[in-house]
Amino acid sequence: MGKEPIHPIRKVRYLRPQREWKEIIAIYLYLAGMGGGSFIIGTLIDWLGVKLDPPFLPSVVLFGYSLNLSKVPILWGPIMVAIGAPFLILDLGIKWRFMYACLNPRTSWVARGFIILSIFIVLGLILFVKSVLPFKWLYPESFFWRIPEIIAFIFAFATAIYTGILLKATKSIPLWNTPLLPLLFLVSALSTGSMAIILSSLGTGLFSYHSGALKTLMVGEQILVVVEGIVLYLFLARRYKTTEQGKDSVRLLLFGEMRLIFWGGIVLLGFIFPIVLENIASFFPGNTTLIFVAGGLLLLGGFFLRVGVLHAGIKEQIPMHRLMELQYNGMIEKWKTLSEGRLKKENAQKIL
Amino acid sequence: MEEKVLVVDHQKCTGCRLCELVCSVFHTGASNPGRSRIKVVKWENEGFYLPMACNHCEQAYCVEVCPTKACHREPENNNRVTIDQNLCIGCRTCIIACPFGHPFFDVQERVTVKCDYCDGDPQCVRFCDVKAISFADADKTNLTKKREFALKFKELMSSAR
Repeated sequence: MGKEPIHPIRKVRYLRPQREWKEIIAIYLYLAGMGGGSFIIGTLIDWLGVKLDPPFLPSVVLFGYSLNLSKVPILWGPIMVAIGAPFLILDLGIKWRFMYACLNPRTSWVARGFIILSIFIVLGLILFVKSVLPFKWLYPESFFWRIPEIIAFIFAFATAIYTGILLKATKSIPLWNTPLLPLLFLVSALSTGSMAIILSSLGTGLFSYHSGALKTLMVGEQILVVVEGIVLYLFLARRYKTTEQGKDSVRLLLFGEMRLIFWGGIVLLGFIFPIVLENIASFFPGNTTLIFVAGGLLLLGGFFLRVGVLHAGIKEQIPMHRLMELQYNGMIEKWKTLSEGRLKKENAQKIL
Repeated sequence: MEEKVLVVDHQKCTGCRLCELVCSVFHTGASNPGRSRIKVVKWENEGFYLPMACNHCEQAYCVEVCPTKACHREPENNNRVTIDQNLCIGCRTCIIACPFGHPFFDVQERVTVKCDYCDGDPQCVRFCDVKAISFADADKTNLTKKREFALKFKELMSSAR
C-alpha cells in the first residue's frame, strides 16, 4: 500500500500534488495563524479585565526604568507573526522584490496579505511595547489606546483567516477552493493560539490570582479543539464529494503518502492526545507537566495541519488527462479480458 | 490586427522535442529543454504525444493571482498573457493557480517564465518538421475539425445514396 500510487495513471506529470509551496510556506501559515489567534485570545483576556500579576517573571531594568512585563505573556502574538512573515519572503525567487508586492495591494491576495500582516505586526508591536514601557506620559490605561487595540484585534482575525484565503485564492486546486478552509485555519489559529497563551501563562504564573480564568481558558480551548475537529471533518467530507481531484486529495491525505502526517500528526497529536492529556491533568491539580506536554503536542498538530493541507493539494484535471485516463482504463480492460481468455484456454488444456 | 493562437495537432506530433530545444535556445540562449516554455507530454504506452504551451486563457488565473502585475495581458500582442521578468518576484502562485500547469519556475533566473509567442514569431512553429504546431488565426482554429466532419458527412450521404 505504501508505495502504491492512488491511481496508476495519475502518476503522470500534471496530476501529482503541488510541490511549489513546501514547508517554508507551512511554517509561515502556522506562525501567522498561531500569532494572530494568540493575540485575539490575549486581547480578549485584557479587555475582560482579568488581574494579571505573574510572580515568576524577572524584573528587567532598562536605562534605569523597570519594565512592566505583566502583559507580555498575553500580547506576544505579533512577535510570532513577525518571525513568520520573513518565511514568506524566504520562499520567493528574488527575495528583495517582495517590495513590489507591497506596492500593488489591489492586485491579489498575496499582495493584500503583505498589507494585512504589515499592519497587524506594526500595530501589535506598538501595543506590545506600550504595555512594557512604564512611562506615565503614554497614559497606558486611557481610552485612546482602545482604538489601535480594536484595529489590531480586527487585523489579527484578518491574519488568521487570510492564511486560508491565500490558499483558496489559487482556485485550481479543489481541496483548497472552499470557504471551509479559511474557517478551518481560523479555528485552528484560535485553538493553537489559546493553547500557546495557556502555556505562556502557566510558565509565568500569570493567573495566580485568577485560577478560575485559567480553567475557563482551558475549557474554551478544548471546545475550540472539538469545533476544529468538526470543521476538519466537514472540510474533508465536502472536498471528497466535489471533484475527482478533491477526492484524490482527501484519499492522499487519509490513505496515501500523507497518511502518517494526517493520522499521526493531525489526528493523534493535534486532537486526541491533547484532549486526553488535559482531562487526565484535571485530576492532578498543580501538576503542570501534563498540560505542557499536551500543549506542545497541540501546537505540533496545528503545524502538521498546515503541512498536510499544503502537500495534499492536487490540481484540477484538464480534459486531455481525462481522455488519456479513459483510454488507459479501456486498454486495461481489454488486456484483462484477453489474459482471462488465455488463462481459460490454458486451464482447459490442463484439464484435457 | 487579427488574433493568432498556437494550434496543436496531436496526431501529427512525433514526440521529437525539437520545439522544446528551439524554445529554450530562443529564450535563454541555452539548449536546455528543461528551461523551455513548451513541454511535450508523452504517454508512451499509448503512443500519444501532446506539446503543451500556454493557452493564454480568456479568464487567466495566473493574471488574477499575480501579486505584482508581472503576469499581465497584452491586447496589442495577439492578446497574449505574458510575464514581465523584471517585475516577477518568483512567488510561484501562478504555477499553482494554472490548471494546465503551464508557467515554469526558471531556477537560474529565479523567476517564473511562460510562453510569449516569441514576440509574434513562435520558434516551435517555425522549426516543427511535421507541422504539428501552427500559429493560426483564432477564428479559424476549428477549420480542420469542420472539414473532417464535412468529409464524414459526405461519405455518409454518398453511402446512403
